[in-house]
Amino acid sequence: MNLNILIAGVGGQGNLFASSILAEYFTNQGHQVLAVETIGAAQRGGSVVSHLRVSDSEMYSPLIPAGKVDILMGFEILEMLRNFQLLSVDGSYLLNDYKEPTVLCNLEMDTYPSDEMITAALQKSGKKGYIIKATECARQIGGSLLTNVVMVGALCQLSPLFHRQEVRQVLAGKSPPKVRDLNLKAFDAGGSLVSGMS
Amino acid sequence: MAKKEYLMGNEAMGRGAVEAGVKVAAGYPGTPASEVLEYASKYPDVHVEWCINEKVALEITMGASLCYTRAMAVMKHNGTNVALDFLMHLNYTGVRGGLVLISGDDPGGISSQNEEDSRIITHLDAHLPVFDPWCPQEAKDMVKAAFKLSEKTELCFVVRPVMRVCHARSPVKLEEIATSSKEPFFEDDRSRFIMSAVREPKAGGVLRPVLRHKWLNEKQMELLQIMADSPFNHEEEGEGSIGLVTCGIGYAYVKEAEEILGKKFPILKLGTLPLPRDKVVKFAGKFDKLVVYEDSEAVVEGLIKELLYDEGIKVAVVGRSGFLPKEGELLTTVVLKSLATLYPELEKLIPETASLDIKIPIRTRTQCIGCAYRSLLHALKLVARKTHGVVAGDIGCYDAGSFLPLELQSTIYCMGSSIPIATGIAYSGSKQPVFAIIGDSTFFHNGVLGLLNAIHNAVDMVVIVCDNRTTAMTGFQPHPGSDTDIGGKPVIAIDIAKLVTAAGATSARVVNPYDIPEVMKALNKAAKEKGVSVIVASSPCYLLARRTGDICFTPRKVSLDPDRCNGCKICIDYFGCPAIRFADEKATIDQATCVECGMCVYVCKRGAIT
Ligand code: SF4
Ligand code: SF4
Ligand code: SF4
Repeated sequence: MNLNILIAGVGGQGNLFASSILAEYFTNQGHQVLAVETIGAAQRGGSVVSHLRVSDSEMYSPLIPAGKVDILMGFEILEMLRNFQLLSVDGSYLLNDYKEPTVLCNLEMDTYPSDEMITAALQKSGKKGYIIKATECARQIGGSLLTNVVMVGALCQLSPLFHRQEVRQVLAGKSPPKVRDLNLKAFDAGGSLVSGMS
Repeated sequence: MAKKEYLMGNEAMGRGAVEAGVKVAAGYPGTPASEVLEYASKYPDVHVEWCINEKVALEITMGASLCYTRAMAVMKHNGTNVALDFLMHLNYTGVRGGLVLISGDDPGGISSQNEEDSRIITHLDAHLPVFDPWCPQEAKDMVKAAFKLSEKTELCFVVRPVMRVCHARSPVKLEEIATSSKEPFFEDDRSRFIMSAVREPKAGGVLRPVLRHKWLNEKQMELLQIMADSPFNHEEEGEGSIGLVTCGIGYAYVKEAEEILGKKFPILKLGTLPLPRDKVVKFAGKFDKLVVYEDSEAVVEGLIKELLYDEGIKVAVVGRSGFLPKEGELLTTVVLKSLATLYPELEKLIPETASLDIKIPIRTRTQCIGCAYRSLLHALKLVARKTHGVVAGDIGCYDAGSFLPLELQSTIYCMGSSIPIATGIAYSGSKQPVFAIIGDSTFFHNGVLGLLNAIHNAVDMVVIVCDNRTTAMTGFQPHPGSDTDIGGKPVIAIDIAKLVTAAGATSARVVNPYDIPEVMKALNKAAKEKGVSVIVASSPCYLLARRTGDICFTPRKVSLDPDRCNGCKICIDYFGCPAIRFADEKATIDQATCVECGMCVYVCKRGAIT
């Protein structure tokens, strides 16, 4: 087993929690795990990237080298695009259809790429991927803060690398009691969002 | 099998210290090293403290060490600069109880004002031994070894992890926690611990600084022997005519490159300063060329050149002095590229990267939606514009006011420099009014000295202290203005307004930063006063308050009337709440992200927001 997952989003999207669930799951499965986050000023809406590496042999760099990302999870469109060049030749992406405008885009000093441009660029890249409305789904369940769990739920449905029920158990164990039920609901909803897609 | 726990590098170092029986741990928060102390604070047997600044932290730990107690100081590289004055004396006196300094570096300046290699001041300057870990497990092992060796050699040991080691997470072996049997006790040794220019009768009247300097120099021999056998240095066999020397995180990237290329290179993995001289000489002798991979300055590269020159060995040594980029982080990509320069046939093995045909806007930092600093910065911007004033800035969440859209602060250097910079501007003869804006933690850290100096000299300026009672930027660590310590124990909160009043400030106005009219009034009055006028903008950090249930403001649902909005963009250019969006010549409020702080109501002069 050799797997590199990169989660790209903005501060406050619960990037770290998602990565820690996957890390615990893979550890339970008996694999080695190495992770790192770039958390420069994460609280204030900056970019946050989590690198998660899984292997059965020794790993060295906590950062996934360029061209070695197998699964790119984008919690926010721009942040996924920003890290897109790290994808490996046959890597794929799972994108949350959600835009967090940048300060400069708000000022009209920069333009957030249009949906058409994004779709065209992704298509041209030739990479396989899925686009889901995870934040919208999270809001329906109980709030945008559940986006991360919806995304993990979707990933576990799409990829054969996961035993869904076991990830669900890890999630239950790692969730604070107050939000456990909501988290599980979001996880299941994420699965339903993509069922039939893969 | 030893128990393993999935730990962050910082936690692993905290764990290493606890296992080594550390009793006093002190520091000042700063990315990348903050979590070391947070981890240690979970153990009630250890006194853990966030100090006013790094120099004080190092001095406290030295005091503990004097009583044969194991102690640790933790800081980021900028903090090590602050502690340097003390470091340049404790190297002469040496220590008693094991003393370890963790100095976290940030190559690439990802979360810092500069990218600095603290091996330079700690090793080349202070001549202290330094360990440079490549992964969390080694970081933990090094901290443990450092305590032991510190006691053995009577020298403070430095562990210098870079950000990627501090923040990496991996399973780390847990071992038993040592219990110390030694009773803490202070005993005098004035010839050591009184650092002064006195003549030593016992040494024929030689001045003590020279004598202690000699002691430190003689210690280097002992260190060389220790490093010669250190498990943190080793050699790996491989193919090729070029020897790869790796230091700290450099090992991770070179090994990663090996995996990618499916090759084994001859590697000398180094983790200690001083260098294991014999190992280096033996390794170098096998090659025509050495490449040194280190973050971030050419420290080891320089030391190896010096060593080989002394030994008369002619081998080309290249690395960060120019063959590799002189700035920025060392990454696997950098290593791969360099290897392809050395062995062109490897070029085709470098992984292809995906490309995307789209322009991606950059993301700049701003305050959280609902943060009290946004209204404060807005008010200051209006007053500074009207008075043609200059605003000197400092380090903290409010520093984002220096970026677009506000572009308020005109200078930002290091902790506490805002007030002295403003003082100098006032002295320059420029007629512009001066303002300094500084956070509470930064104020205590070093800002207070500049303030006392300005008050004493009756400099005309307005100082705004952003008082949210926490060190928000680095993750809510307490500071001398907080009423609880790292463990939640009640402590005395120092009242900034009272402090500056006692010092003789012209005025000290405490305002609620959310109340824009009140802040404007205070600023306008202060700007007309002589001497130093202080405004303490006091309200809890909104992000923290949301977690603790503290209250910052009474929620107020706002709506924007598009007919009244004339597109003047004041709410964007002079305020910039990310919940306010602007498109097609009109502002709109994104209700999904708006937190109902109500500040924008005051910002829009057209009455479009109600
Ligand atoms: S963390 Fe606190 S002080 Fe910093 S920007 Fe957010 S609300 Fe403001
Ligand atoms: S909402 Fe008010 S401040 Fe903002 S653009 Fe419209 S009129 Fe100007
Ligand atoms: S839009 Fe107005 S009320 Fe809502 S968070 Fe921003 S400033 Fe506060």
